[in-house]
Amino acid sequence: MNLPQHPELLDRLASAYALGTLRGGARRRFEALAREQAPVRAAALIWQSRVASMNELQAPTDPSPAVWTRIHNLVRAESEQVAMAAARTAKVQPAPGGWLRSLALWRGTTAAGALATVLAVVTAVGLRDEMGAQIGELQAQLSAQPQIEYVAVLNDEQASASMLVTFDPKNGRLTLQRVGGYQEAADKSLQLWALPPGAAPRSLGVLSQEKLLQLAADQRDVREVPALAISLEPKGGVPSETGPTGPVLFKGALIQKML
Amino acid sequence: MMIGLTSFKTLWSTAGRALPHNARMRDQPDDELMALIDRVARRDEPALKALYDQTSGKLYGLALRVVRNNGWAEDALQETFLQIWRTAPDYRASLSPPMAWLGLIVRSRSLDLLRRRKAEREHLTDEIDEAMADTLEGNSPNPMDTSLASQQAWALHQCLGRLENRQREVVSLAYLRDLSHGELAQQLKLPLGTVKTWIRRGLDQLRNCMAGFA
Repeated sequence: MNLPQHPELLDRLASAYALGTLRGGARRRFEALAREQAPVRAAALIWQSRVASMNELQAPTDPSPAVWTRIHNLVRAESEQVAMAAARTAKVQPAPGGWLRSLALWRGTTAAGALATVLAVVTAVGLRDEMGAQIGELQAQLSAQPQIEYVAVLNDEQASASMLVTFDPKNGRLTLQRVGGYQEAADKSLQLWALPPGAAPRSLGVLSQEKLLQLAADQRDVREVPALAISLEPKGGVPSETGPTGPVLFKGALIQKML
Repeated sequence: MMIGLTSFKTLWSTAGRALPHNARMRDQPDDELMALIDRVARRDEPALKALYDQTSGKLYGLALRVVRNNGWAEDALQETFLQIWRTAPDYRASLSPPMAWLGLIVRSRSLDLLRRRKAEREHLTDEIDEAMADTLEGNSPNPMDTSLASQQAWALHQCLGRLENRQREVVSLAYLRDLSHGELAQQLKLPLGTVKTWIRRGLDQLRNCMAGFA
């Protein structure tokens, strides 16, 4: 049917399509026409956009402040994850083939006897430069190397290890490695808490679902905290002030490394 | 027609605002929100918070209207902002006013959530329908809210305002909750024929009215 020839009918169908009350076979036929004929498609898009304005007209209600905390925690966890993945790929990148190249050069010098001495000197100079670069690289790697100062093994109720936590104060990072098989449901989050003596638990962040993950933390957050705990919370966790609301799954002492 | 609408909108938004600088800000809510979305696209966390502070009330109101349950609406709002965080770079290509784009995300996250919850507890479907059934408020005045609304939403607001209250409510719920005639009749405890007539007449009136704004 040539729907664009019947503007009123087209408008009626497009508006019912956009509202969602055009259903079943009639909807499928309209969609097929829209794919074939641009004016039908245009009418559908116009009405979709008009009807969607309904979304903007609903009376506002303030959500509980906990919602932002959950969003913030999840965005943080995601950003940390992205940063970690980026760091991993950066590490795996192959080192420049310096040694191989100079080996080839050495072989070349043996073949070309007359130039051997000259080339040897040149290569040695090149080699020294490369070694200088490598030393610089090693130094950079060393300073990027985490300095682990605090360690905790969090156990479940059966005292089997479930989570290994290390803290690197230089980079302000808590690294958590899941060692047990525990996996929370998709609509739940694990939340890490510092348990300072004589004070309420303080949230250190919400865990993403990965095996290995990192959370940003300040040394003040972990200094003089004798223990850490992980609770099961609604997805995104709960605000620090309210404290854990779900069951504490894992718990363990935080130990400052002396070595 | 558009000029008349714009000046009305400006009049409305500047009237009754005590602080002049606040009124000026309100004149350009779209620019402000678009600037925030652009910053969110560049992974700017404070911008996400600012966007949340400005829009969460409005978006939560919408989620609540779709799912009719505080906990679920909060979950939908949370998923919405995570999606905004991830897809803000796509916003400009949508060519939508900012609140229209945000509203679409909220509605689709809310509907997803409703479907998931219903599937999870199939046996509770009746209970959910029951909980949703109390929404047709007989002759309450037009409860629609135009804060932050785009120009197009203003036009729709004008046109919906001309419908009879229950008619407007049925048309609104059909879209917001993605309900068929049959589902509407069931949820609102109305005869199927009545629902069909109200929707058809409501849409006819909307078409005539919206034509004046196009």
